[in-house]
Amino acid sequence: MQLSRKWVLALLCAPVTFLLAFFIVPFILIVIQSFQTQDGAWAADNYAKIFGEGYYWATLFDTFRLSLWVTVCCFIIGYPLAYYIVRRIESRWVRRLMYIVIITPLFTSNIVRAFGWIVLLGRKGLINDTLVGAGIIDRPIALLYGQFSIILGLVYIMLPFMVLTIASVLQNIDKSLEDAARDLGCNAWTAFLKVTFPLSLPGVVAGSLIIFTLTVSAYVTPSILSGGRELVMSMLIFQQYGAILNFELGAALSVVLLVTTLILVVFYMLVLDRGSKPSAARG
Amino acid sequence: MERRAPSLGQMLLSASAWITILFLALPLVIIVSTSFTASAFLQFPPAGFSLKWYAQFLGDRSYLDSLALSGWLAVSATATAVVLGVPVALVLTRAQFKGSRALAALFLSPLILPPIVIGAALLQFGTSTGIARTFWVLYVGHVVLVIPYIVRTTLASLAGFNNSLEEAAQDLGASAVSTFFLITLPLIKPGIIAGSLFAIIISWINVELSMFNTTASLMPIPVKLFNYIQYNVDPMIAAVSATTIYVAIIVVVALDRVIGIDRAATN
Repeated sequence: MQLSRKWVLALLCAPVTFLLAFFIVPFILIVIQSFQTQDGAWAADNYAKIFGEGYYWATLFDTFRLSLWVTVCCFIIGYPLAYYIVRRIESRWVRRLMYIVIITPLFTSNIVRAFGWIVLLGRKGLINDTLVGAGIIDRPIALLYGQFSIILGLVYIMLPFMVLTIASVLQNIDKSLEDAARDLGCNAWTAFLKVTFPLSLPGVVAGSLIIFTLTVSAYVTPSILSGGRELVMSMLIFQQYGAILNFELGAALSVVLLVTTLILVVFYMLVLDRGSKPSAARG
Repeated sequence: MERRAPSLGQMLLSASAWITILFLALPLVIIVSTSFTASAFLQFPPAGFSLKWYAQFLGDRSYLDSLALSGWLAVSATATAVVLGVPVALVLTRAQFKGSRALAALFLSPLILPPIVIGAALLQFGTSTGIARTFWVLYVGHVVLVIPYIVRTTLASLAGFNNSLEEAAQDLGASAVSTFFLITLPLIKPGIIAGSLFAIIISWINVELSMFNTTASLMPIPVKLFNYIQYNVDPMIAAVSATTIYVAIIVVVALDRVIGIDRAATN
């Protein structure tokens, strides 16, 4: 049933007004404020500060480096699991169980998940206890509140996105292609590398971009698992609003984060567009 | 096809997959089991069994208030998002017009924009309109946050839709409105319910957007947990955290019942 023009306008009136008022206008306000100084004068001082002062620039750079690491780790850990679920699990129940284990963390607050790692990684936590008990180390080592725990915590948070994105692409790749390669003399590994893996690349890229975008703006996990000792961009933003009360600089940092994210998203769309072509060809 | 004996590579693959599954489950299992400890500090394996930490947090008025606020926020934001989002999905599938891509992008964009920036923007907006740090600013923020989930799942259920039922209803004299409520809505209901479950949980676990707009007496449960965990870790927090995990499990099971977890997972 096609909707008439009158219906379209009637149906869109409330939702569009709502988003304009409570989503677009607030963003415009932030952009405006980012071009003001604390005395209310118009200037690009905040941006000059962000890109000129080593402190802000270094945090930006650290955040990107962290996101890259998290993305790479998620790919290395996530791909085999996605492949295993789609190609090796025969029982529907086992597959279902695995999906439940992957999705439940996604439905649990980042705080709760970070808290789980505090319990696991603490000086008296399970990992230190096990290592000491097994005689591998004499005394507990500091696993928490450093680069290691931040990366581990973020990989844990982001991993489901990678697994699910790759799994959904793998599901649509015809299994007989790999079988054909094997009949033609490839071993399992080369058949995978030459046939399935290249076809699954759109999923890998999509998952990576989702994870990179989410990690760049992550706040909760790095704040809890760094104990405040390592800064990322979003922590810098919240500091400006919460502690330093420099809303203008906070706004400029928000805009930088926003523009970064938008660039990544556009890139994502382009990849997705290209990725959808082979699947259309497959019918 | 003949069954090949498992090679070293296949064994490595299944080992790594199961270790990853364990990795994903471990922190949640640890929290749930330590929440039942009888000791006064967090330890694993837990010492003894006791419900006292649950009793302690359920006896604390401020936690109940936070839970109630979060629950109310999630339900009211989701209900509003359904009312606003379903018509958008209908328009996007049922009308051809210029700007439909822009419309879709507008309604899906809260999904990808950093929630911390949405939070900052809302604080700004709240300050200039005088609703800063009230329930209302949290409410509109959460509606914005969850709308994409409703639009997306409704779009998905409208995409595989059999139009002939609607046409039959109209041929039999039903008006556009009654066709929608008698035919279309019941058919896309699973999609709307699935979207609502996603929306409820996204609102329920949100910190980044909420934390800009909270006060001591207006604090959703994840923000309260967040403030507490930065200074203290104790079994009571494990009990509060475990409670939020139970909610997550209930929602996942509900999703499985409504649309099947494998569909929900790879959608």
